Amino acid sequence: MPGVRTRLPLRRPTRGRWFGGVAAGVAAHLAVPVPLVRAAFVILTPLGGAGPVLYLFWWVCVPSGDPADAAHESRPSALSRLARRQPDAPVRRWPVTDVAVGVLLVAVAAVLVAARSGVDVGVGWVLPVLVLLAGLALAWSQLDATARGRLRDRAGGRTPVGLLRVLGGIVLAGVGLLLLVGQAAGRGVDAATLVQSVVAALAMLAGVALVLAPWWLRLVNELGDERAARARESERADIAAHLHDSVLQTLALIRAHADQPTEVARMARAQERELREWLYDDRPAPGTSLAAALRALVAEVEDSRTGRDGGAVAVDAVVVGDRVPDADTGALLQATREALVNAVVHGRAPVSLYLEVGPDQVEVFVRDHGDGFDVDAVGPDRFGVRESIIGRVRRRGGTATVTSSPERGTEVHLVVPCRAAPGSPSTPAAETPPAETPTTTTTQEDA
Amino acid sequence: MTQDQQVVDVVLVDDHHMFRTGVRASLDARVRVVGEADSVESAVRVVHELRPPVVLLDVHLPGGDGGGGAEVLRLCTDVGSDVRFLALSVSDAAEDVVAVIRAGARGYVTKAIDGPALSDAVLRVAGGDAVFSPRLAGFVLDAFGTAAGDVATGDDELDRLSAREREVMRLIARGYSYREVASELFISIKTVETHVSAVLRKLQLSSRHELTRWAAARRLL
Repeated sequence: MPGVRTRLPLRRPTRGRWFGGVAAGVAAHLAVPVPLVRAAFVILTPLGGAGPVLYLFWWVCVPSGDPADAAHESRPSALSRLARRQPDAPVRRWPVTDVAVGVLLVAVAAVLVAARSGVDVGVGWVLPVLVLLAGLALAWSQLDATARGRLRDRAGGRTPVGLLRVLGGIVLAGVGLLLLVGQAAGRGVDAATLVQSVVAALAMLAGVALVLAPWWLRLVNELGDERAARARESERADIAAHLHDSVLQTLALIRAHADQPTEVARMARAQERELREWLYDDRPAPGTSLAAALRALVAEVEDSRTGRDGGAVAVDAVVVGDRVPDADTGALLQATREALVNAVVHGRAPVSLYLEVGPDQVEVFVRDHGDGFDVDAVGPDRFGVRESIIGRVRRRGGTATVTSSPERGTEVHLVVPCRAAPGSPSTPAAETPPAETPTTTTTQEDA
Repeated sequence: MTQDQQVVDVVLVDDHHMFRTGVRASLDARVRVVGEADSVESAVRVVHELRPPVVLLDVHLPGGDGGGGAEVLRLCTDVGSDVRFLALSVSDAAEDVVAVIRAGARGYVTKAIDGPALSDAVLRVAGGDAVFSPRLAGFVLDAFGTAAGDVATGDDELDRLSAREREVMRLIARGYSYREVASELFISIKTVETHVSAVLRKLQLSSRHELTRWAAARRLL
């Protein structure tokens, strides 16, 4: 629920990116609009080129991937939904990267043409640097694709194309470096010395690689294996424990109670609710979510109470917004529970429950489709409505309204101001009529 | 049986044979199942062949690129607006619901729905209206925000709900039927349907910042 949202981790999303997805990733991380971040990069450009440098830095350092995806992966699997998520829809976007590459190539061509036609551009170092950069880009693009492939659970980077990319990148970068070295050393270095030093450097590198290769390979393999095994193991344990605790137990109970349709229906409903929560919802940590507390309350009432005909009654609960529970919402939940029990026991299905967390108040509506009752006729000795619902809410500075009519059923409306909201003085809702003043009343007392 | 309208033809898309049988049996005489499909590919093929007025579409479907019901909707955009989709799912999680609605479904019901209610929903979709469950209305309020100052002033504003639309959504979330909403607000049922259709359009087209962020938190960006 949006009320208790945590910061998304820094990732470069593949969707909505212009170049490397850095701006989109930073925007998602800081929860600010993407254009703002893009503007910031542009504004930072004149300041010693800080914009592009920062961008490149993040491009290289931040892994590619969906931020929301990463956030979900970092959740404990016991709290995450089990069902596979729908993959993202593809979006059409401007081929910005292709255009940028094109512009770059045109610029290079222009420089070359200028050099050919006799203009001294004084760019002896440009070609080597360009070759070097192209090599780096080629190798890094492979790294990027590998990371993305791993995140997306694809085949991984060990394709011939990937190998070619890395080799090509290394060769290009090497040639660029050599040219640069040649340039820097003046034109005095002869070819033989250059070749010699290249061979020496390569031999050195090859030796080091040979020595370290087995160790490095084993490390990589072990790390991957161990990580996968651990994740699989904990997930399997969670699912097994859950299936044993709930589904299996319930099935056994249902078989034992096969001759009691009410009991069977109630257990099936409880199991359905629980399984649904496991499969399709991410669960918040205990004690941090009013919505979760309400769902638990609904479950408790559904499990423990039956309707007038002795059958189980399903409650259709809708929650908008969320917040951390406190004493006020605790009182509200208790009042809600009383109202819900009344609706289930005395009213008629369908029973609806709606909770809305506003900026300065929390509202609850409990509605049934029963025959209604005369609110005024409820005696002062009847603790149910007067004390446990209306009194509870009023002591917290809130209001409670009961509306009842034979054709519309009964609706209980509870409002409690929340004090936690900083900056906004909590004012009890003024638009609700005073408590205990039913707008429509009829006879038909509830039992 | 047939009152003022004819029988509505539907195509039923679900990968569970038992469930398709159950739905066929529970639909009443106002609705006729003319075709079935059990995967993304077969669904796209059947919909293009038969062009039914209504398609009952499961959200979680095998085949295709793994996109489920939303992928079917995307692949069927060329059949035109006279084929309408009603999403049907065992899951009522926000991300599943909003994914298919934003892909173009005209409504969403859970598989727990009973036969007459499902038939009503099919007729409503066939008539060009939207089908909102209390759950979906709750999602809309969640996504568009419920703060008092956040109210659309013009009809063309896609990113905010008007005061009336929000009232209608709140009543639907509270378990009111369209008829009850109409009498509560002293408007006609037709007006309620207009409001609901407008909200559906906003939900599908809005690029509201909170909506995209809200969707991102549920991986829909």
